[in-house]
Amino acid sequence: MNTLIRLEIARTLRNKKFMFFSLLYPAGLFLAIAGSADPNDKVSGTNLTLTLYYTVAMASFGALTSVLVGNSERIAKEREQGWVRQLRLTTLPGRGYVIAKVASAAVVSLPSILIVFGLAATAKHVRLEAWQWLALTGSIWAGSMVFAALGVAIGYLVSGDAVRPVTMIIYFGLSILGGLWFPTTGYPEWLNDVVRWLPTHAYAAIGRAIEVGDAPAASDVAVMVGYLLLFTGGAAWLYRKDTLKA
Amino acid sequence: MTATTVPATDSARTTHRAAVAFRGVTKAYGTVRAVDGLDVELLPGQTVALLGPNGAGKSTTLDLLLGLRRPDQGEVELFGVSPREAIERGLVGAMLQSGGLMEEVRVRELVGLACDLHPRPHPVDEVLSRAGLADIGDRLVNKLSGGQAQRVRFALATAGASDLIVLDEPTTGMDVSARQAFWATIREQADQGRTVLFATHYLEEADEVADRILVLHRGRILADGTAAEIKARAGARRVTFDLDAADLASDAGSRLSALPALTAFDVSGRTVRIQSSDADATVHAVYALGLYPRNLEVAGLGLEQAFIAITDAATAEERDAATAEEAAR
Repeated sequence: MNTLIRLEIARTLRNKKFMFFSLLYPAGLFLAIAGSADPNDKVSGTNLTLTLYYTVAMASFGALTSVLVGNSERIAKEREQGWVRQLRLTTLPGRGYVIAKVASAAVVSLPSILIVFGLAATAKHVRLEAWQWLALTGSIWAGSMVFAALGVAIGYLVSGDAVRPVTMIIYFGLSILGGLWFPTTGYPEWLNDVVRWLPTHAYAAIGRAIEVGDAPAASDVAVMVGYLLLFTGGAAWLYRKDTLKA
Repeated sequence: MTATTVPATDSARTTHRAAVAFRGVTKAYGTVRAVDGLDVELLPGQTVALLGPNGAGKSTTLDLLLGLRRPDQGEVELFGVSPREAIERGLVGAMLQSGGLMEEVRVRELVGLACDLHPRPHPVDEVLSRAGLADIGDRLVNKLSGGQAQRVRFALATAGASDLIVLDEPTTGMDVSARQAFWATIREQADQGRTVLFATHYLEEADEVADRILVLHRGRILADGTAAEIKARAGARRVTFDLDAADLASDAGSRLSALPALTAFDVSGRTVRIQSSDADATVHAVYALGLYPRNLEVAGLGLEQAFIAITDAATAEERDAATAEEAAR
């Protein structure tokens, strides 16, 4: 299985389009948005500067992109082309394919987090304690597993030409509504009541709590764990269904 | 219709465990029975061709054999264990028509993965050169031609020392020389005592390579035997001759159709075409009728014609049965 994981990583790193979207795109957005903001501007209703806000938001967005966008499309395509069938004629255990996809996504999502943090520290002079950087990296990286599971579930649920638009709608929907692109504090109250239940909202909220030196809210952690169970359960169920049909 | 029995003695059957065993296997999609009560055993070391028109159930049969689908009824065993277990033990290497390849990786990397996953792998270089891929090991898989991709599939199927090799339409997309090289490799594998099962559209491949042929039709086995037996079964010889107009004008048609050993009969213009299971008796009887056949030709049936004759006969039989059933209502 290690060989499969290694191959999955190698092909991802070779894919220029993917590297652009998961590395350069969030980093560029971070520089563009945070660069135009006054470093002392606070996000309305919070104690957080815009720069700090976008440090977490764009690192999260980069990690989300790495684990969600590539995987769902690849899985749907490889199911259709029969690569998944071919793998079932090997000694690889059934889960191995999905595990390799998630593991390789985890490896390539780390650079997209680190590049945003690197830019924040160098270009935008963000200063945090060492433990905060480590905790941020750890929580955003671990949290990306929720979206990796979602990517697998979409890949097994949607087929053919539909998978790209469906993934994009979910990806942009989660990013924008969850506050990865703009602070949600500007949203009407009814919308805020809804979006706080989104995984992306909880994802970034945990990071922001670490930035101000707080412990993450239990409700945010609970939302993430809930979605992790939902998405992995859904992915596992869809995978089994697909296996019996194939 | 009963199938010719497996050319193997009972002692062989008890000392060797069947490489492949289907026992009463049925698989339906909705109301269509893709595989209908399949009972067959393949013995270790046999090279078996699976023939059948489109929709005969070949792909479903191979899917069931490899554990990619589960039978509705009956059971499938490979070397006495379930297909999945046989695969996990590295006993089976398979090349699927519908088998996709991992894209954006190099040929060598992909073949290396297959070797890595096999419990008794061959060296990667050996697998590559046997499949004729030694020169294109650095090529990206998604940049290959159809024939090259087919060779990669073959390499994946032969990455390790598997006892059974299953090939679904293996030479599709290959040119003639590639096809010949491919079958030479398969013969080598068979000579090493491996069991080989392949489905093909090219009947000459079955004729040249297989020592046993299974003819599948609507999910059932119509014929089972060597190429020679299958040909004999369909009416071994084709007899062609022309008749004079005078001879034709008489009631030649009805007299000819009553000839001995006749299995098929057709008159077009002045040309009479006959398939016969005993050409000597048939030709003798033609003269005995007082006819004078000109340009007489007696030729053996190719496997292709035999195959068509067998499947056509089965289709006609089914149609007759259906008509009779309807008439009875």
